Amino acid sequence: MMFLRRVPRRVIQLTCFVGAVVLVWPLLPWKIAPRFFQQLSPFVALSSSIAARSVGVGAILALIVAVVSSFKKRWFCLYLCPTGFLLENTSRVGLRKTRWWGKLPPVGRYVAIITLAGAVAGYPLLMWMDPLCIFSSPFAMNKATNPTSVFLVSLGLGVLVGATFVFGMAWCVRICPLSGLQDMLFYARKALWTRLSASVPNRKLVERFSGGRGFSPDVKLVKIRGASAPEGHSAAPSHISGVARRAFFASAGGALLALGARRLGAARYRKSDTLLRPPGAVPEDRFAGLCIRCNNCVHACPTKIIHPDTGREGGLAGFAAPVIRFDRDYKYCLETCDACTQVCPTGALTPLTLQQKNKYIIGEALADNNICLTALGKKECDACELACPYDAVKITWDEAQYISYPVVNDKCVGCGACEVVCPTIPIKAIRVWTQKPA
Amino acid sequence: MPKDLSRRELMRRSIAAGGLFAAGSLMPVSSTLANQAPGQTAAQSETEKRVPATMAGGKVVQPRRDVPVLHKTSILVVGGGPAGTAAAFSAKRLGVDVTLVERYGYLGGLATGGLVLGIFPLYNRENKQVIFGIGEEFMKKLDVLKYGIIDRNKPPVYPTIDAEAFKFVLASMLLDSGITTYLDCWGVDAIVDGKGAVRGAVFESKSGRQAILADIVIDASGDGDIYAAAGAAFEKVKTNIGLISRIGNIDEVDMAPGRGSEDPTKPSIGRPDEGGRPSKGRVNDFSGHAGNSTPAPHVNWLNMRGPVGDALDISDLTEFELKHRIGTWGNVEKLRQKAGNEQVYLTETAPQLGVRLSRLLDGVKKLKVDEIRNGATFKDVIGYSGAYANAPAFQIPYGSLVPAKVENVLAAGRCISAEFEVADITRLIPVCWVTGQAAGLAAALCIQNNCKPRNVNVAKLQDLLHQQGAYLG
Repeated sequence: MMFLRRVPRRVIQLTCFVGAVVLVWPLLPWKIAPRFFQQLSPFVALSSSIAARSVGVGAILALIVAVVSSFKKRWFCLYLCPTGFLLENTSRVGLRKTRWWGKLPPVGRYVAIITLAGAVAGYPLLMWMDPLCIFSSPFAMNKATNPTSVFLVSLGLGVLVGATFVFGMAWCVRICPLSGLQDMLFYARKALWTRLSASVPNRKLVERFSGGRGFSPDVKLVKIRGASAPEGHSAAPSHISGVARRAFFASAGGALLALGARRLGAARYRKSDTLLRPPGAVPEDRFAGLCIRCNNCVHACPTKIIHPDTGREGGLAGFAAPVIRFDRDYKYCLETCDACTQVCPTGALTPLTLQQKNKYIIGEALADNNICLTALGKKECDACELACPYDAVKITWDEAQYISYPVVNDKCVGCGACEVVCPTIPIKAIRVWTQKPA
Repeated sequence: MPKDLSRRELMRRSIAAGGLFAAGSLMPVSSTLANQAPGQTAAQSETEKRVPATMAGGKVVQPRRDVPVLHKTSILVVGGGPAGTAAAFSAKRLGVDVTLVERYGYLGGLATGGLVLGIFPLYNRENKQVIFGIGEEFMKKLDVLKYGIIDRNKPPVYPTIDAEAFKFVLASMLLDSGITTYLDCWGVDAIVDGKGAVRGAVFESKSGRQAILADIVIDASGDGDIYAAAGAAFEKVKTNIGLISRIGNIDEVDMAPGRGSEDPTKPSIGRPDEGGRPSKGRVNDFSGHAGNSTPAPHVNWLNMRGPVGDALDISDLTEFELKHRIGTWGNVEKLRQKAGNEQVYLTETAPQLGVRLSRLLDGVKKLKVDEIRNGATFKDVIGYSGAYANAPAFQIPYGSLVPAKVENVLAAGRCISAEFEVADITRLIPVCWVTGQAAGLAAALCIQNNCKPRNVNVAKLQDLLHQQGAYLG
């Protein structure tokens, strides 16, 4: 680390910032690069690994970051974080010069606790607050197809920069869950060190670890030692038990909220007709939790059919999470593409091979024969049958009714090829609907 | 000396045609047609000794017999549908001798007798018209007729023509053109010389079995009857065979809520969210067809896709002719049960079955579905098809009109050389105009330059197509 000391911190920060842009744009020919960017964050890697019950290759990077951060306090924030770099420079030119945020409680640590507890319940509630995700989401801007999605993808970073300009560095120092997690890692490592090296508990050190009014994960350690503490420290200090209580409530609350959110998500899906997630999406009860709104998938989609949700399809819980809409001319989920499944950093979209992706059911196409031009004898139309890449739509002759209409078989994956070529206006005769159990 | 003979024949015919054209306006309509080959026909059929089929060894045997030559011509067009009429008119304009033979008693084929009144695909995805030439001329003639054509120049909505108006246009143009024409004449065989080259075709009509000798035959029969008889390789396909009908006393626009339409200018019916989720596997519960408006007020044409059948199998055709008319009647009864439609009646069922595809030529070039989807361009492009379903507007090469082996015959219309999915587009009315016009001009070039269809100077052909207003990109 010594050699780094000689290089000005801002040079390293700038280099990392540029590197981040290169990764998430992505300027590299390596298409899955954006995924490894968000996975650098130990907060994302840890929460998503717990929630998805699986560890990806990218978690190795996060582990390295975690280990270094536990030795050098907030190392990631100071050197690597592109959002931090942006906000730090914003605050330099900003309105607020006092460090008023020192009085704030360490919200970031609670956010991290709530999210990790939620992750245990399968729904990492606030994972979308990760700074790397917030940083990468505006890069989907060039794929945004309407003003609403432009607004949505730039919302997170825009709010942060604006708030930092007006209020100063409160986000980075006190609210960011990644810095909160780093703090906890740092204090936990130190406490572990102390326990291993010192037989006599260092009261002052403990106080410092816990950040005064805050909470550190070494509470239990402190409490255990508190029992054998020297005279004058027979009872656990009140602020430590307060910290423990807060941590307990944060965990319990996080888990309960997560379970509630899962139920809501599942119910929403049952009721919805139009909620279509990108291929590889985990079941809807967990999707909105695992999704960090990084917009990698929105960005990766060559046909621009993936949009950040305004809440129309997924409700409040699914706000800004990706949904598929077939509202652009002739653009559907290509049978030659699995890009979106490859760039998801959290496993909200499971990485799929092209073969697997072409079997993933996005939704189901259903034809309305009261609109269909062929069924109504209006026109010679078999657009849907011709367009279907999966041989799933057949214009079928019905001898009893003496008409023909599209019949969709179970090869349908809901890619939307039929919907986008259907010529009826304003309602498409064949549309992809949220899949319902038979 | 067949070549010398044909050249002399050509001269004679050109002069005769020119004279006829000049005299056409003075002569009564009937004599214009009847005087094409006076005396010959009558004399030959009088003296023809009938040789009926006989039984021999339990088999029916057709004894060898001479076929009287009804007529000699430079270009023989078999089939007077969209492709055949386009071919005949465009070739005749180059001053060559053209003879047109049609199975039914009217011209227009499926566009009139089949009631395929929708003229699509005319436009590319940018809503620009890509089919002009003779087809555009036909439509311009319909433009000036009351109730002749609607929805002109309103992409993406396609024009719809009136069948009787189009029959009128074609018959008038034919009488003005000086093309020798035989209606009610069914081409049944090719005449092939010792070298395997086509020298004409054999026809059945009320006058019996007769031959027409020609230098080039354009097979616009739809089913490729002539090139198949001449031994050209082809692919046989089966697809849906329907029967179109027209219904009267119906609103021009079906305004029932939730109905789709292709026309963005028509009032929007409900919001996209309001269609409602159709239940899976539900058999549709609507009470009848509605069809699409036609130039005739309160008359809709009603398309029928129909079951899959073999258009070359007479028992399939017979079954469909009967059942489709019964089914159509039943559907109109169902439609009448819907409120507001009580007065709807069946105006007519189409005289001709809606045969889509039967034979597809194995040509010099087989137009592939990948090529049209990927926007392939061809050096020998002779025209465009408009965008249809998931295929953008695409080029049609001259090679898809020329048989791979057999000489002196060109295919035009739905039976050209293309993969099934492509032929499913090139079979449509305006695309048949395109291939018909190209075949006609190519045949005329063969006569003028004394060459084989496969050796036609493509640059010259494209030049002629341009001169006749065709769109080649």
